[in-house]
This record gives sequence, structure tokens and C-alpha cells, in this order.
Amino acid sequence: MDTQNAELNKTTETNPTWTGIPGATLRRERLTRRRFLEQIEGESSAAQIPLDKDELSLGRASEAHIRLTSKKASRLHAYFRSRGADYVMIDNDSHNGVLLNGIRVHSAVLRDGDVLHIADSVFVYRED
Amino acid sequence: MPAFVNFWGTRGSIPTPASWTRVYGGNTPCVEIRFDEAVFICDAGSGIRELGKDLARRDPVPKTLHLLITHSHWDHIQGFPFFAPSYAKDTKIFIYGRKATEDTTFRVLSGQMSSQFFPVSFSELGASIVTDHLHNGCQEIEGVKVRSFEHNHPGGCLGFSFEKNGCKIVYSTDNELEIQSGDQFPDLENTGPLRNAPEPLLEIMKRADLLILDAQYDDKQYAQRQKWGHSSCFSATDLAIRAHAKNLALFHHDPESTDRAIDEIVEACRHRAARHGSPLKIFAAREGVELKF
Repeated sequence: MDTQNAELNKTTETNPTWTGIPGATLRRERLTRRRFLEQIEGESSAAQIPLDKDELSLGRASEAHIRLTSKKASRLHAYFRSRGADYVMIDNDSHNGVLLNGIRVHSAVLRDGDVLHIADSVFVYRED
Repeated sequence: MPAFVNFWGTRGSIPTPASWTRVYGGNTPCVEIRFDEAVFICDAGSGIRELGKDLARRDPVPKTLHLLITHSHWDHIQGFPFFAPSYAKDTKIFIYGRKATEDTTFRVLSGQMSSQFFPVSFSELGASIVTDHLHNGCQEIEGVKVRSFEHNHPGGCLGFSFEKNGCKIVYSTDNELEIQSGDQFPDLENTGPLRNAPEPLLEIMKRADLLILDAQYDDKQYAQRQKWGHSSCFSATDLAIRAHAKNLALFHHDPESTDRAIDEIVEACRHRAARHGSPLKIFAAREGVELKF
């Protein structure tokens, strides 16, 4: 198991003192879920971009974590941030904005299957 | 300065936490509307709890809040005892409802905090709470023109519009847009003409940047629930088209509506607007989404 998979498979611990009932245990919820953007249109469509940090930037700037080359993209166009159990997209006051399922939004808690139009690219947000 | 609209609770009737409400959310009505430093909160449904937590994380933390209660039905007030800013001594909350002499907004808000219902009494809240109403249905609050208007809902209900610097946002939930003479209803094939809309509503909503409208049902559901005080999504769509609004947020989702059912409602309403040649943008209000105007 590689490091990433080991991280994804971390679970809540079983209660070591509760052994009287065969098979009795606490739930084993994964503490980390895999989240990624699936690019379906644009410069590198079919790419899967893991959202594996607390904050990722997207834009044309060389320092952006997720780089776009389209002139329609602002330098730091948007951020993706972890917030509690959720992942949030925040438009960084970009010139052309971000469309969430066809509607321009300033920020949004993302849900599996959300479609994001950013500059010439289209991404689908996925979570396992 | 732009205006921001943040949806904290979009579900009607009762909180509906479920795997099938994960996208649009299960909290009852609460919408935050901000113009510069002025923070308006429409309704205190269960969504207001998360808003309270979020306000406390802001820099600076807003110390003056304007809470507008459309009516005192449970789903619009039940979150108030869990609204953290109401416990903060340095916060002032203006609560607007119906005129004090004829309504019970204050009494109901405090009543649901009597010991039979909640362990902390209203009088123990730390914030300075001022109950008020919009005088003659129109008042300027922190530079924002706020208007109230009557809805068609059992027991009565108010809608609110907010205007500043040419930006207009209207919050109008728990309103039954009556089927009017000449309307095709139900329009199950989505082929009928635009429905008629009351002139006073059209005037208030005219060219709004955003309409947040009651659209609890589709036509088939509405046919079974007339006089319950809620609207068909097609009636809401037609009102927004007639008002030449720019954006329509379908709101007060039925507790039985799954995320997929709401997606289908949005699709049907978009189809209807397109069929009538309207550029109206339609979406379903969704918890955790913030819009900027």
C-alpha cells in the first residue's frame, strides 16, 4: 500500500476495551476522502487533479498550483480550500468568474458531480 | 461595493438531513444578504446556526445584524435559539417582523425559548435585541432601501426587497401565487403560455438582479396542495420572466424533494424560460453557495 492509499484508508480506531461481544467495534469511517477535479474540457482534458492540500490555487500565474494558460483565466483565478469535512471553491474576484453548474457564483461548498467552468476549461468535482 | 447573497438554509417545512438532500441541503430557511457592512438575515430557520458560526469567524466580526422574519411558522424561527451572536454581549440584533401591535414575532421568538422548549430563556441572551418593523413597509437601513410586502400564505407572511446602488434583491418565500383566470394549470407537458402575475408583485420585483422565490412544488404536487401557501416552480418562473428579473433562485424546497428531483425542476423551469425566449438564469438555491452582484 503506498503512502497515499495508507492515508486514505486511515480509520477511526476500534475500542480496545470492548471485546465482550464478538465482532463488536466502533464504526470504521475513513478520516480522509479522495477528492479530485476531473478536467473534461480544456488544455489537458481527461486529467485528474487531486485536491489533496488544505488550499490549492488555480490560475495563469506560475505560482498557481493548478495552472491554466488561457488568457480568459486570471492570474490567481480561484482557490480550493478545505473547510471542515467539505471542500470549498472561492472565486478570487476573477475577471471572467466561475460558473457552478452554469451559474456564476462567488463561492460554493462543492458536491460530487458539480461542474465548474473556468476560463476555457471545464472540471467535474469528484469525491470518493 | 458589491452585494453578496449567501444561502444557509433552503429547505421548507422541516429540517431534512439525508443522503439525498446533501447537495441542496436540509436546513430550513435562512438567507444572508450583505451590502457593504450591512448584514441582513432573512428568516431564522435551522440554517441560521451555521451562519452564526461563520459570522464569528469573520474579521471583523459584525456587531450589528438585521434579522427579518417573514412570518412565525416554525421552519422560519426554529434556529434562533441556536444563533450564537444572540448570546454575544457586544452584538446588537434588530429583529423586523410584522407591526408589534398586530403580530407575535417577538412573542413567538421568545416563547420558543420558554423552559418547556429550551433550557436558556430569551431574557438571558447576551446580545442587545431590538424588535421593530418596517415603518409603512419601507425603510432605509444602513443605506439600503428595504421594503416589505404581503404574501398569500396561511396566517400571513411578508416578503422583503433590498436595493442599493441599482442592485435589487428580493426574498419572497412562503407565497402561493394563485392560479389566475386564463392560466393553463396544471401544465404537465410544460407547453402552456406564461401565467398571469399580480401587478403589485411585478412592480416590486421588476428588473431584480435576484429573485429568491417560493417554488416548493412542481405542477403535479401543487395540484394536490392548493391553499397550503406555496407555489409551483412554473408559477415562480413565469413571475420572474414577467418581472424581467435577471436571476431566479428556486427556494423552499419540499422536504420530499431529492437532489435529483430538484435538478429536474430546475431543468424544466430553464426549458420553460427558453421556450418563452427569456434570458432569465434559473437555479435552485443551495446551502453553502454565495453569489456576488
